Amino acid sequence: MTPTLITVLFVGAGLTAVGVFVVAWRRDASAALAGIPLILGGAGVAFVGVARFAAAGTPHLLGQEVAVLLAVAATALVALGLGIAGREQSR
Amino acid sequence: MDSLHAIGFYVSSGVSVIGGLGVALLPGRELRGVSLAISGIGLAAVYVALGAGFAGAVALVCYLGCAVMVAGPRYRVMETVVGGPWRQVGAIGAGGLLAVLGFAAFRGSFAQGKPAGDGFALADIGRLLFAHDALATEAVAALVLVSVAGALAVWRGRERAR
Repeated sequence: MTPTLITVLFVGAGLTAVGVFVVAWRRDASAALAGIPLILGGAGVAFVGVARFAAAGTPHLLGQEVAVLLAVAATALVALGLGIAGREQSR
Repeated sequence: MDSLHAIGFYVSSGVSVIGGLGVALLPGRELRGVSLAISGIGLAAVYVALGAGFAGAVALVCYLGCAVMVAGPRYRVMETVVGGPWRQVGAIGAGGLLAVLGFAAFRGSFAQGKPAGDGFALADIGRLLFAHDALATEAVAALVLVSVAGALAVWRGRERAR
């Protein structure tokens, strides 16, 4: 069974839903921050899949580029969020 | 996409989603960090199976870094003040959304696309990142700079307060 566009979109949506589940389920904000990379990772999978399976006109590297930017942004957001969470705790 | 890539795609997708569920459900920051690392490895494998090798390499490094930060002992647990039960309701809603998506993917008839060619294509990605879409790259670089500087500033302030 060869993966198709809908399979890739389903995986991306599943990762995003799991990320939202992490953010909503964990009570402490420091642990809930771990859901942000999952949400952005799901979006990256969707971008890569759409660019790869696009019919015509779209360069298939565009999705890869957006996925790279999303991964870097997710790491930066986690670093900043953990720093702010630590500061809030120390008050 | 040949059968080996297809099997790799499905296995790595399952690993990624199961790792994400481990982040939500496992106790302890170490286990959550390990789960996030497993999810990142699965996500990188998904990218590789889709022919996005460079994005997979970058995602692997970034997600392992996130896992180290989440698992590290250098931060405290901060309980949120508001929204306890409503957050749980939101979590159940997210689970319901996942079930609806699964039902839609199972019952719907969708257009079938043809995959484009494979390739790491570093030069083309670099051209896209630093020439065609330089503004987006600059925006993410500014976000990284602000995040790193802000994290350092709040950590220094916290250490001084002790």
